[in-house]
Amino acid sequence: MNRLLDKPFQSFSIYALIILVCSIPVYYFVVDTIWLDELDEHNTIIRQQIEQNIRKIDTQESDLDKTLNIWNSLQPGIAFTPLQTSEIYKDSIYTATSYNKFAKETDRFRVLSTTIFIQKKPYHLVISTNVEETDETLLVVAIITAFFFLVLVLGFVFLNKRIARNSWKPFYRTLEQLKRFDLNKDQHIELEESDILEFEELNTALTTLIEKNTLAFNQQKRFIENASHELQTPLAILKTKADVLLQNEHLNEKLSAIIAAINSNLARISRINKNMLLLAKIENNQFPEKANTNLKEAVEETVDSLTDYGLNKGMDIRMDLQSYPLYCNSTLLEVLLNNLLTNAIRHGEVNQPVLISMKDNKLIFSNRGKQALKPEQLFVRFAISSSETTNSGLGLSISKEICDQNRWKISYTFIDHFHVFSIEF
Amino acid sequence: MKILIIEDEHELAQDMADYLSGQDYLCEIAADFNQASNKIIFYEYDCILLDLMLPFGNGLQLLELLKAEKRMDGVIIISAKNALEDKIKGLQIGADDYLAKPFHLSELTARIYSVIRRKQFDNSNIVTHEELTVDLLSKTVTVGSNLVPLTKKEFDLLLLFLGNKNKVISRNALAEHLSGDIADMLDNHDFVYAHVKNLKKKLTGAGCTNYLKTVYGTGYKWEL
Repeated sequence: MNRLLDKPFQSFSIYALIILVCSIPVYYFVVDTIWLDELDEHNTIIRQQIEQNIRKIDTQESDLDKTLNIWNSLQPGIAFTPLQTSEIYKDSIYTATSYNKFAKETDRFRVLSTTIFIQKKPYHLVISTNVEETDETLLVVAIITAFFFLVLVLGFVFLNKRIARNSWKPFYRTLEQLKRFDLNKDQHIELEESDILEFEELNTALTTLIEKNTLAFNQQKRFIENASHELQTPLAILKTKADVLLQNEHLNEKLSAIIAAINSNLARISRINKNMLLLAKIENNQFPEKANTNLKEAVEETVDSLTDYGLNKGMDIRMDLQSYPLYCNSTLLEVLLNNLLTNAIRHGEVNQPVLISMKDNKLIFSNRGKQALKPEQLFVRFAISSSETTNSGLGLSISKEICDQNRWKISYTFIDHFHVFSIEF
Repeated sequence: MKILIIEDEHELAQDMADYLSGQDYLCEIAADFNQASNKIIFYEYDCILLDLMLPFGNGLQLLELLKAEKRMDGVIIISAKNALEDKIKGLQIGADDYLAKPFHLSELTARIYSVIRRKQFDNSNIVTHEELTVDLLSKTVTVGSNLVPLTKKEFDLLLLFLGNKNKVISRNALAEHLSGDIADMLDNHDFVYAHVKNLKKKLTGAGCTNYLKTVYGTGYKWEL
């Protein structure tokens, strides 16, 4: 994955490279043209000066030729050649190359070829000035361009880091906060202010979103809590009505069985209701008191209260425990242990033992079963099929919630026909 | 014995009153905070059943009132909230017991029975019933001069029956009485049967008349 800032950096660098590479021939062309232009001007000026100065000199024709010969041999850039009147040259400007014996290289020259008259006699004047070679100019322009490209890229890297550090800081802070945000924990989120419009808009949008979600979440939790409370009174009335009905003097076997069925279903509703309320309370952190307890004692208490229930199904509860100190809410620990043990007894095979063992910081409940449960659905509310009529569908969700709150890890495996629930404390 | 039922839900209050009347209790009903405070100020009761959420006021304020008047009435809080704070607060202010809705009438009666016993027989705490003598403090039961060795659960069941004479009690109610909150979690209450059977066997074995009857396989009754 690329960082957002690296994206424009790459593009900018490539763009700069293309522009700079394109600029090399342009620079070369411009520099060369200016150069040639300048040299042409220079050559013209020299010609004018020669013309002017030579007029001032008053010499004999024979002396003149001698002087010009000396000139020609001493001054390499300027050459006079006497002309016949018939072969007068027109002015011309061109570039020529010639081999330089001394530098052992080919030099480039800008040449002005013209005809001047000295004492009415035509002379062919060739003024040639050394020009920088094409490849040399090109090379220098390319080196300079490469240098500036390097400077540009280094500048980009530096600026990129600076922008990232300063301007993007609020963004990364926001990101960090969002990562840590947990709807369940009822936290307030404080996003850092930014002087960048987009970040400020992002923060405003996020704050609104989070507030709305938190509100909806809290309303939902409160709704569940209120609904459960509201259900308690009609449930209480139904339960007492069933009790009153049981006292009826015309009670017969059939009626008695119906009342028993009503009672067991009422018990089921109140179980679901109580569990919903309990779950809402746990999620609302309404069990904040913590105390030092011992896991071994807590397990023994739970086993004690459920031995009857197990014996009724021919189940022997076998324990292999060590003392393990815990700092937690004792009510929640009790609920957790009760849930796991009743589950083991309820779903275990008749006349088979239920085992509770401890290994280091792990508490393990295992009971015999026919086939593995679906682990992905196990801890989801009401996800377990309702064919098991006595199930509230909430027991394991509650267990999971309790474990999550205490940062314990609950897991399920199916080994050798045994359902195994283990909690790492 | 006089009982004040402070409950705004009329149906519930009436059923409680009807059930308790059959147990030789004289019941009065107060449907809101004002009625309740009037009755409390002018009359004394052996036991007050107090709902916390009332029209025109909170039940805990009535508890404070009773405490301020240094009254000895037994108080059982009956609440739909089942919130631990309310329970602790109520018991601290001076309530004798706390019962969460929904509950079985037999459970309520057993609680009332126990509260009234505690209030009345501070020192001896002995309940006699025909040839049966129950010592609530030492938790022992004797038939004539024979000591009946009961387990804790059997003893609890016996108290429930003694508090609900001539009433049919469902197996469900017995299970809730024995296991408390856990009873809700259990898928069947058959284990109660074993305890009732053992209790019956031990009592008759010690020479007690068999008062404990099974009613159509689903309930039990302490019949006189």
